[in-house]
Amino acid sequence: MAITVGIVGIGHTRFGNSSEYDLADVMAYAATDALEDAGFLERRREIDQVIVGNMASGMFCHQSAVASSLVSRMDMEPVPAELVENGPASGASAIKIGYMAVASGMADVVLVVGGEIMRKVSGWNATDIVATMLHTEAEYNMGLTLPAFGGMFTRLYMEKYGLTERDLALVAVKNHKNGAKNKYAHIQAPCTIEAISDGPEAAVVNNYIAEPLRMYSTCPVSDGAAAVLLVNMDSPKVKDFRKKPVRIAGVASATDTHCVHNRKDPLRLDAVRLAAEKAYKMAGVGPKDISFAELHDAFTILELAISEEVGFFERGTSFLAVRKGETEIDGRLPINTSGGLKSKGHPVGATGVSQAVELVRQLRGEAEEGRQVKNPRYGMSVNFGGFGNNVVALICAKD
Amino acid sequence: MAIDELEKKLRPPEIPLKPYPSKVITLASGEKMVVREARREETGILLGTIYPLIGVSADYYDIVAARMYSEVLAWYRYRVANEFVLVGSIDGVIAGIVNSRHVTNKLGMSLHTLAIKRGLRVGAQLFAAKMEHHIDVLGEEEVYIVAESPIGFKRWMIELQLEDRSSQFPDVRSELGGVPTFVLTRKLWDAVRDVKCTGTRPVPEEDLKSANKLIMPSEYVQIPGFKR
Amino acid sequence: MIDFSMYGAKAPTIKAYKCLTCGTVYYPAPMVCGKCSARRDPVTGKGWETFDLEGSCVLLTWTRVWNLPEGYTEKYLLFGIVQFENGLRASGQLEVEEPKTGMKLNATVKESDERPGNPVNVFVFKE
Repeated sequence: MAITVGIVGIGHTRFGNSSEYDLADVMAYAATDALEDAGFLERRREIDQVIVGNMASGMFCHQSAVASSLVSRMDMEPVPAELVENGPASGASAIKIGYMAVASGMADVVLVVGGEIMRKVSGWNATDIVATMLHTEAEYNMGLTLPAFGGMFTRLYMEKYGLTERDLALVAVKNHKNGAKNKYAHIQAPCTIEAISDGPEAAVVNNYIAEPLRMYSTCPVSDGAAAVLLVNMDSPKVKDFRKKPVRIAGVASATDTHCVHNRKDPLRLDAVRLAAEKAYKMAGVGPKDISFAELHDAFTILELAISEEVGFFERGTSFLAVRKGETEIDGRLPINTSGGLKSKGHPVGATGVSQAVELVRQLRGEAEEGRQVKNPRYGMSVNFGGFGNNVVALICAKD
Repeated sequence: MAIDELEKKLRPPEIPLKPYPSKVITLASGEKMVVREARREETGILLGTIYPLIGVSADYYDIVAARMYSEVLAWYRYRVANEFVLVGSIDGVIAGIVNSRHVTNKLGMSLHTLAIKRGLRVGAQLFAAKMEHHIDVLGEEEVYIVAESPIGFKRWMIELQLEDRSSQFPDVRSELGGVPTFVLTRKLWDAVRDVKCTGTRPVPEEDLKSANKLIMPSEYVQIPGFKR
Repeated sequence: MIDFSMYGAKAPTIKAYKCLTCGTVYYPAPMVCGKCSARRDPVTGKGWETFDLEGSCVLLTWTRVWNLPEGYTEKYLLFGIVQFENGLRASGQLEVEEPKTGMKLNATVKESDERPGNPVNVFVFKE
């Protein structure tokens, strides 16, 4: 019989500017929070495995082997620890590997920590470092960046489906409204549709980053860490924790072509669709069963496109649902209740774990007032690596 | 105040400057920032606003604040030639201050940009307003620009494509520290004005009224636990 | 004898690859043919042929990027994805007054030192 894996502790730093701190310290802070949440801090040396998600500590912080540093920072030797890297999907991949460790029977309790410090380097360097995940010869060398691909994808989507810049701004307003209530969010400040889209000064106040994407359609550069403690729910150890675990119902990933220009269909995100399908199958549910979702809105267009690929809306119609308010906190299908990457922030290695923390907070009923989804049953997250060439989908359930 | 002969000698000759036409900008948060020229009698409020930042070493606040404090005080005391000060305020509370000198009818000297309210691009908006005043209102042909913050300056260099005259140092230099300078010409400003500079004129009556009495900020995100 | 032409000035090119076993073309080069699984040995090049990716192409999508990475000093750069007549697609910079999806462009290659390390070859799609 397959082993059931659940999340029994969560931790999360305030995303933002932690550049004066050491990466391992920031990750240890989130990890300690998760262990305290689980009531397992003093017993941390009993943990069977630590998995760390981080994308580019070597380039951002001139540090490597961060899983090893973290174990020492937590004074948890000799617990085994390894690093998982999957670009901006490192966090969710770390959870997937942690899940596999528990599901394999080799580990009963696994600590998964995702973290990144991006702000020790300048914004231009951060853009460059993130761009290294592109194909060196055919993309990076041309001067292309992730926002450039976001812009090009957005233009195609606009021309085919009639999405407007205002629609993207509506999503930003929604996400900032949610993020303003999230104590962990990088930016806790609502924005108005008049200011960033409709008003006479909006074009300058909300300037272009990679046309047609504007500043309020691209996420900030953030530092931070998040952690989850996984447990074998069939193990007697489950009773040792403070809270009932939130079950991981499904976790899966898929890849797509490295070069964006080689995608079969430039407007499709096949890796998203395939990862979601596998996760749904594993969980025994479909898109209609999902109560809320955290979708990787590094560029606002992705919240929309991903919501379609995972089956929440017909292709090309998600922005119509946004116009009707269906994805608001009190809507039919709340999306990015945490504020999403736009408002919560995007420390690349941390995001996947941060999304899982939000799923658990909502399913436990622990989200802040004004952004708590009513009676959620299933939460889904999609963590997008590269520009869609490596995607992880996660489904959590409240039983 | 009666100006005696000695005082006359110490005061610089005044070029009558066209006033800056006030404007209002709706920032991303929905808050409205009125940008207007400061009045000499508001110096106390300006100095009181700038002063606490002299103690903040992060992000070059200390040197910018210290220099702007002296420049504003010098303006008040008539010991600097043809300086102008623009203030951005939200409901009267000062969000940022910029100052510059009109050197001749062809040349401007950018002095400082101090953003107190963070996260809403107040500094960028006020810097653009300053350039608007130099070139569009006062009619200067070019503005010498330098900065204390390397990151901040690099942004201006790239976003405005400033002309590099650093090789002409020391004959061509900024008054700010006498350092090699970069230049915003009318041509360069024309190329970026639409992207950088915005605002609604005239300012609606109630917004103008709220900005009439400037108020010193009661909190500074740069100074946790600040008490005036 | 020595091939002295290697010291001459050469216009930079960007190569596409053709699997000689099944005829499928690729850009950039794979290590295993996606269609017939023929291996590509980058050392000997056996079983594969290279050809210059150039000439007329159609603009599929484009963007104007205002926030460029470290090493670039331009205010903004135009980028696009194009499709060549042989079906291959590529990404690169645009030198176009008013980009429009669907417009016909000509692919050229320039050498650039805007990236760290050695100079690299960059597509510039022009009108």
